[in-house]
Amino acid sequence: MPTRSISWVSKTLAVTRKDIVSEFRTRYAINAIVMFALVTLTVISFSIGLLSPSKEILSALFWVILFFASMSGLAQAFIKEEETGTAMILRLSCEGSIVFFGKMLFNFLLLLTLSILVVPLFIVFLKVVPTDWVLFIGAVLMGLIGLSGATTIIAAIVSKASVQGALFTVLSFPVLLPLLVAVIEITTVSFTGGTFADASAPLQLLVAYDVIMITLSSMLFDFVWRL
Amino acid sequence: MWWKIIIFLGMSAVIVAAFLTASPMRAANSLGPADVYRIFYFHVPQAWVASLAFVLSMIYSIRFLKTRNMEYDTKALTANKLGVMFAIVAMVTGSIFAKMTWGEFWNWSEIREVSVFILLLIYGGYFALRSAIADPDTRANLSAVISIIFAVAALFLIFVLPRIYSVFSQHPSDSIIDKSGQITMGPTVRIVFFSSLIMFTALFFWIYNLSIRVARLTAKKMLESK
Repeated sequence: MPTRSISWVSKTLAVTRKDIVSEFRTRYAINAIVMFALVTLTVISFSIGLLSPSKEILSALFWVILFFASMSGLAQAFIKEEETGTAMILRLSCEGSIVFFGKMLFNFLLLLTLSILVVPLFIVFLKVVPTDWVLFIGAVLMGLIGLSGATTIIAAIVSKASVQGALFTVLSFPVLLPLLVAVIEITTVSFTGGTFADASAPLQLLVAYDVIMITLSSMLFDFVWRL
Repeated sequence: MWWKIIIFLGMSAVIVAAFLTASPMRAANSLGPADVYRIFYFHVPQAWVASLAFVLSMIYSIRFLKTRNMEYDTKALTANKLGVMFAIVAMVTGSIFAKMTWGEFWNWSEIREVSVFILLLIYGGYFALRSAIADPDTRANLSAVISIIFAVAALFLIFVLPRIYSVFSQHPSDSIIDKSGQITMGPTVRIVFFSSLIMFTALFFWIYNLSIRVARLTAKKMLESK
């Protein structure tokens, strides 16, 4: 049914648009994430700026920055709904899958904004330039898709619990570990001048991880959303 | 009552046999003194029980989401509690074994050591989530969901990751069966090892049953007091 699928997409986009509008009013998540990333980046630049770390270490540090910065703000998408009491209205007005993909898209856009700011700074401060830009940007994009896909459902789980911030990191880390290993491997290849063929195994893992995690999360989301 | 006596006698027999019969060390991969290899009789069954507990709790989590029967939540929780215990014990015995044979207590390139560590992180996350939710129904629901997500992530870590990441396993792959499915152990070693495996599994299910009975009685008492 084309009409149904069209309305599904537009409803999903409406959820994302609503989040973007309310994010622009408070700028809570984006401020937290960007400042966290800047602070981490500065700490790393100050502590190892005088040394000459290898490119393997730099690619790991790049993802450490992105991981912890995203941990500081991604949980907000659902916590804010629960705190302001708007979660119930959202539950009444659309299906679980719409909310899931809408929030996931919002988190992805948030991370995209973050990495547009962080990537140039990282390159300038730590003096590392990817030799293969396509591979590097592909790794970042696929990594961000996986990051937002796997953490959206964890954010929904955490919004129902107390001590949310710490719990979000604790629950996300074991789930994100395969993703982090794969993207660090690909980023290393793109820094050290390897080709697509060198990164084919981690790329396959990354694609498989993204597809499986997003499918699984969207399947399980209703159990979390409609208690 | 009978279980308790059988397990007590069986465990005692296994412990005595593990120290009195010949060491399970094989000439093919012998590092360190031969007596060290006796820990094999305890380490492998403990690791086996820890993985059994993990799988059991996943099955009960899925069944909980299907039926919403609180009984399954109790079972998943109990399996996880025992899983933590056996995973820690297996990690400690494994570390001692590794120090005596490979020279280091901990080795980040050894996939099984990394995976047991991640397993403990997963258990930590599970219990942290449970303690952060007050309502029992919400708690059961959300911990079942996170269990399933963790299980899928664990599958990635155990089966896919070793292919791309430069981790490798120093664990011999043929210490119990070889590639053609033949048991590689000598006759005495075989008897002691499989008795130990059976006894550890029996010990696990004995504690598991006791914990579930305690949990049921606690729930009943809480209902009566309300």
